[in-house]
Amino acid sequence: MATAVIMPRQGQSVETCIIGEWLKKKGDAVKAGDVLCTYETDKASFELTAEAEGILLEIFYQAGDEVPILSTIAVIGQPGENVESFRTSIPGEEKSAQESKKTEEKSPSSPAGEKDTPSPSVPSIAEGATISPRARKMAEQLGIAWQTIKGSGPSGRIIEKDVLEASETQPRMTPLARQIAEETGKIPVSTQGPGGMALHTDLGDAVYPASDEFEDKKLSNIRRLIARAMHESLQQSAQLTHHMSADVRKLLAFRQECKKAMEQGNSNANITINDMICFCVIKALKTMPEVNAHFLGDVQRFFKQVHLGIAVDTPRGLMVPVVRNAGNLSLLQLSIQIKNLADACRKGSIDPALIQSTAATFTVTNLGNYGVEMFTPVLNLPQVAILGVNTIIHRPADTGNGVWGFVPFIGLSLTYDHRALDGGPATLFLREIKNNIENWNEKIE
Amino acid sequence: MYDVGIIGGGPAGYVAAEHAAQKGLKVVLFEQKKLGGVCLNEGCIPTKTLLYSAKLYEYAREASKYGIAVSGVEADFGKIMERKNKVVAKLVAGIAASLKKYGAEVVNKKVTIAGQKEGMIQLQTDEQMYACKNILICTGSEASIPPIKGIESATFLTNREILSLTQLPNTLTIIGGGVVGIEFASFFATLGTRVTVVEMLPEILGGLDEEISVMLRNELSKKGIVFHLNARVTEIKGNEVIFEKDGKTESVTSSALLMSVGRKPVIHGFGLETLGVEIVRGAIKIDSHCRTNLPNVYAAGDVTGFSMLAHTASREGDVAINNIAGYKDTMRYQAIPSVVYTHPEVASAGLTEQECKKQGIAYKIAKLPMTYSGRFVAENEGKNGLCKIIAGQRYGEILGVHMIGNPSSEMIYGASMAIECQLRVKELKEIVFPHPTVSEILKETIFEL
Repeated sequence: MATAVIMPRQGQSVETCIIGEWLKKKGDAVKAGDVLCTYETDKASFELTAEAEGILLEIFYQAGDEVPILSTIAVIGQPGENVESFRTSIPGEEKSAQESKKTEEKSPSSPAGEKDTPSPSVPSIAEGATISPRARKMAEQLGIAWQTIKGSGPSGRIIEKDVLEASETQPRMTPLARQIAEETGKIPVSTQGPGGMALHTDLGDAVYPASDEFEDKKLSNIRRLIARAMHESLQQSAQLTHHMSADVRKLLAFRQECKKAMEQGNSNANITINDMICFCVIKALKTMPEVNAHFLGDVQRFFKQVHLGIAVDTPRGLMVPVVRNAGNLSLLQLSIQIKNLADACRKGSIDPALIQSTAATFTVTNLGNYGVEMFTPVLNLPQVAILGVNTIIHRPADTGNGVWGFVPFIGLSLTYDHRALDGGPATLFLREIKNNIENWNEKIE
Repeated sequence: MYDVGIIGGGPAGYVAAEHAAQKGLKVVLFEQKKLGGVCLNEGCIPTKTLLYSAKLYEYAREASKYGIAVSGVEADFGKIMERKNKVVAKLVAGIAASLKKYGAEVVNKKVTIAGQKEGMIQLQTDEQMYACKNILICTGSEASIPPIKGIESATFLTNREILSLTQLPNTLTIIGGGVVGIEFASFFATLGTRVTVVEMLPEILGGLDEEISVMLRNELSKKGIVFHLNARVTEIKGNEVIFEKDGKTESVTSSALLMSVGRKPVIHGFGLETLGVEIVRGAIKIDSHCRTNLPNVYAAGDVTGFSMLAHTASREGDVAINNIAGYKDTMRYQAIPSVVYTHPEVASAGLTEQECKKQGIAYKIAKLPMTYSGRFVAENEGKNGLCKIIAGQRYGEILGVHMIGNPSSEMIYGASMAIECQLRVKELKEIVFPHPTVSEILKETIFEL
């Protein structure tokens, strides 16, 4: 009897996975344990192995497709066995079919029955905007460079009406110019033909690149999540950023001590400036619970523990793992945990529960290593604030007794949600971090 | 004060004056001779009138081929020339009437450019000063006389004098086998003159499609015209033209000698020097809007030395006026038709095969004998011709059309339109041609591509 190949569940938060690559193709003989395909979640890539032996009778999803977990993605069985019963049980397919039908109905330019061109193959002209097949055909017939038309359909989609309107203002192209324009993506930049027609010599560099000049890639799951989270954050909160800087002479001195201790074999504590800043932040959060909070619309949730999110740059995209109960940790413990979490993220082995935005009560993001002097971090909702750590800059300062010299300062950029926090407390919080940094008094463990 | 002063009333000048007046510009046109220029008075129109007479004479002599018995066919040279004068006079009067109708002022006087004053160009006649915001120079061209040994003492004709002959010459030597020389050769040979053409290049009608030039030369040879190709004239001794050909010296003696080696722009004698207009190789340099290096000085027609054809001149005049009137217009030369009104006629537009090769353009070609057209067979007993279409290899856009056979001159505009509009073979296949017409040869040939 034929066996379904199911997209497995990967962690509680994962709803869909993206198929990376099929290593077996339809008709191939497979043994149990053979790798059929790779797939990825928002955090890692996995291999899907066959659990049955037989022939790979059918593949329902192709590389790059986003597949709801527990969907049947393929069927293994013996030649001649019916696979159609497996196909109908694909929840995702039904859903997407319904969705596309809905789109067709909404778009006046795509009457039912007309086959819509899948969006990835349509060169996009603006963010997400496309042209309906019907409008495209009309544009081609009229010799209109549709890439320059602003669409009035759903999501800026160019519809027939837009092409008609454009045809009244845009230059017509000669048949030769039109063909070359279609092939190269060039558009008329002058009109030297009869009656103001654009000749092929009037075509100039395209505003939008030709289809062979770019590659459309489906968003990875993690990119999709980041995109949604960032966009929602800016849309749904009232965020703004305060900048302040702190004298880091004491932190730098401590860092030197750590290095020295490590060199002399007295310690394994490779405590970085970032670890120290995080430590200072945790200390400040303990004194200001209104910052260690979530803003949940009607309620604000003040946390008794500090769960510190740390932004980590990984090859797959930004991840923010959380150091739980960070307020209970010593400097060394904190330093070790931060390193371990970052490594797990980069390897793709992080526990999905630890990268939920709700898991952290506050987030630190550090771009100082890259030389960034000031930035405006985006809030990780529902957290009410996020601290951006910048690079160290030497500034003239009074070093005491009226003697002026250059002193290293680290930049701190605090973005906060003004719905939850006013400017006064936010500034006080920044000052508190600054004070903790400038009055650093930790000892090497 | 005038919006535009036009110097020269040929096909560039008078057409420009008409269009300027139609557009509401205040325009003055200066012509010291007759309106219509070389084209109407010494070129296109008189020669076509003569060639039509020659064609009728030929038809009459060949009428028996079509079942018509005609006897006593005679060509009366005097009456042919008389009719030519009548046609020219009628058309010159027509231009004057048309200019008057549109309200263009015509001054039948010699004019000189006196200079610029306060942004206005001063045009001076013996009576009056005309201040013009813009001027359009349409002074045309004249036959160029090569520095051949003995030319000073030789008696020769140019296109101008040959039109005033009162008697048909027995023999005629034509130096220069271009369009002017070949059309006169065709005319005089048909009427019975023994014509010899001496051409310096390897083939007559340089610039035309070579295959067609050869076909025409063979047809004209049947009329008794003798061609000397690759022949460089070294001396003229009275009635004798001495030339070198294949390393040997030969000579031909005739009762008349026509000099038709080319034409040179008229840029002197009307004060052009006072403006500082840029001259390149003896011609006024213009941009694609027919503007010279000076913002208010335009030029059109033969004086630009580029495409010495009346229809080019008219379009250039039109482009200049449009730009003066504030409408941006661009001169395009890629589809200008070119016709040789011999019998048979030759017509072409666009690139020749030779030009495609030279420019490295990938092309495809189709050709069909004119006898593929039923109408041609019906009306051209025992004759043949050729239609040749060149299209871009990749897109099939029409690059050039070359035809020999009557009435190519009346069909070539279709090719010009296709080239101007950059139509492809694909579009042309969808065009319906009237049946039966000779023009169907274009459609037949298109389907070969």
